Amino acid sequence: MTRQVMVNGRSGRIETEGSRLRYQREDGVQIDCECSLERTGSFSGPGEYSVLLDGRSYRVSLGTNKEVWVNGRALAMEVFDTARRLAQAARTNRGRQEIAAMMPGKVIHVLVAAGDTVEEGQGLVVVEAMKMQNEIKSPKAGRVAEVRARPDATVGAGEILVVVE
Amino acid sequence: MFSKVLVANRGEIAVRVVRALRELGIASVATYSDADRGSLAVRLADEAAYVGPSPSSESYLRIDRILDAAKRHGAEAIHPGYGFLSENAEFAEACAAAGIVFIGPPAESIRKLGSKTSARQLAIAAGTPVVPGTDRALSGWEEARAAANTLGYPVLLKASAGGGGKGMRRVDGESEMRSALRDAASEAGRAFGNSEVYVEKLVEEPRHIEIQILGDHHGHLIHLGERECSIQRRHQKVIEECPSPFMAAHPDLREKMGQAALKVARAAGYTNAGTVEFLVDRDANFYFLETNTRLQVEHPVTELATGLDLVEWQLKIAAGEHLTLRQEDIAWRGSAIECRIYAEDPDHEFMPSPGRIVHLSEPSGPGIRLDSGIFEGWDVPLEYDPLLAKLAVWGATRDAAVRRLERALSEYVLTGVRNNIAFFREVLADAEFREGQLSTTFLDRFLKRRKKAEADPEAEAAAALVLALESNQDVPPRENSRRLDAWVTSGREDILR
Repeated sequence: MTRQVMVNGRSGRIETEGSRLRYQREDGVQIDCECSLERTGSFSGPGEYSVLLDGRSYRVSLGTNKEVWVNGRALAMEVFDTARRLAQAARTNRGRQEIAAMMPGKVIHVLVAAGDTVEEGQGLVVVEAMKMQNEIKSPKAGRVAEVRARPDATVGAGEILVVVE
Repeated sequence: MFSKVLVANRGEIAVRVVRALRELGIASVATYSDADRGSLAVRLADEAAYVGPSPSSESYLRIDRILDAAKRHGAEAIHPGYGFLSENAEFAEACAAAGIVFIGPPAESIRKLGSKTSARQLAIAAGTPVVPGTDRALSGWEEARAAANTLGYPVLLKASAGGGGKGMRRVDGESEMRSALRDAASEAGRAFGNSEVYVEKLVEEPRHIEIQILGDHHGHLIHLGERECSIQRRHQKVIEECPSPFMAAHPDLREKMGQAALKVARAAGYTNAGTVEFLVDRDANFYFLETNTRLQVEHPVTELATGLDLVEWQLKIAAGEHLTLRQEDIAWRGSAIECRIYAEDPDHEFMPSPGRIVHLSEPSGPGIRLDSGIFEGWDVPLEYDPLLAKLAVWGATRDAAVRRLERALSEYVLTGVRNNIAFFREVLADAEFREGQLSTTFLDRFLKRRKKAEADPEAEAAAALVLALESNQDVPPRENSRRLDAWVTSGREDILR
């Protein structure tokens, strides 16, 4: 099995053959070792894996949002997919930016209106979750094309609040 | 003693109180809002009462609904936990009027100490030192500016009814005052239903050290020593310990602060458990800050160091029993440290992270105490505080306790919601923390010098192996659990129909 992965923004390649594992990072770091893998934990959840690399023990579990937890620390990680990555890059390079809620919460203030000119870093919307207020800022200077957030509305993670061009 | 007690709270503290009740052979009634129907407290309690929709203003803060639940279930007393109605004098009075015992101090004491401004006046009258500041709520921006100019910047704006850092703002100069005042007042209004704010001189790099007190209804009042809670972020405590590492160099400070705390408590006619908070400067001068007229979040470290059960004493005192402990009976053994596990993301400005707990492995073994309100599959609601659990440890020395806490954190795996478990391991590894050089500005300075840990390539390889394998599987390996989930879901739908 051979797979390309992205770890904390850096690419790597993992290759297994029988109990042999090779992992090579784009910066040249390389691991070549004996591996053993065992799924542990409950059947109802995703559980946890026990990984032994040359006898050293790692606890690995898959989180949400492309996170993999190793010995209690989270790594941002995904299996590399060239086509999808190119499409994603093309999207983020375009001028139009859709600003979404990063977590579920309630819209407390809408600070801009359609047609407003905004600076990079300027507050657009204030969302409250768990008694904490967070100001969602504009990622770029531009013009507000659309305001979808409504005061007092409950929003889900990933829901588009404002569109800036 | 009572035969049935209602717990007017949620999360880990509701679990804590339910456990104490079970140990004492008292029937427990948990309360729940819509979001908390499946909570751990509901599952562990003998009975459970619905108190309303998820927003706390419609459930846990509704005096009428809480009292109604207590009457319906025949509870003789109500334990309010911390937060919500725990420091609400009207609630304490309403309980009394309904013939139900409020497990806490008399309404009159809450009133005297609950407002920070009246508590200051009381402390001054009792001869306990206070931080210089206004002794009453500010009428507006002009008064705030005048007061701050007299005190000298930096100053601190604080909510009269507040606690937990809500409605609190540091102000470094006059130009910041207007917006800081507005923010503090509106935050205070939302959090406590009272937007009154006052101003204090800021003590630079202070330690936050608080004294636990306990008093019965027969005039006996003692202190259980200190907790140091200097590790705070935005005035929210995150690590607490007993004893304070500062006490080693200042052996008489505990007793001095203890006596100062008792003076305040006596002046307020205090009973039951409470905490008197102080700021302590580098020269061991201490200043009264405020009193928390309830059980404190961080009470486990006092319990671990003194061997006493504070909730048990709260119940006994509320039932009219004598506090049989004398001051000279209280002894502190070893060192206890607690960290608050929050659903928040330390890598993204500690943004709250509600969601479902996907995987949970909890630490155990020697010297570990975990007060938790969560379980695998639990949806952490977005309506409440992000506190998930409190991990406390005991060790023979502070150093042993720190190493034990590091060990416990390394065993703790919680995925699905972002949390601060790994962040605590960084803090505990910090040289200043190890040496006990603490202050309320510690975390801000730590965050500035914090370096993001470089991932160990072998750990990456282990993670990549699992991820590659999972993405390789066409057939999901959890056929059984799926079938079970479907069965549970349809069962639930039947009930709801």
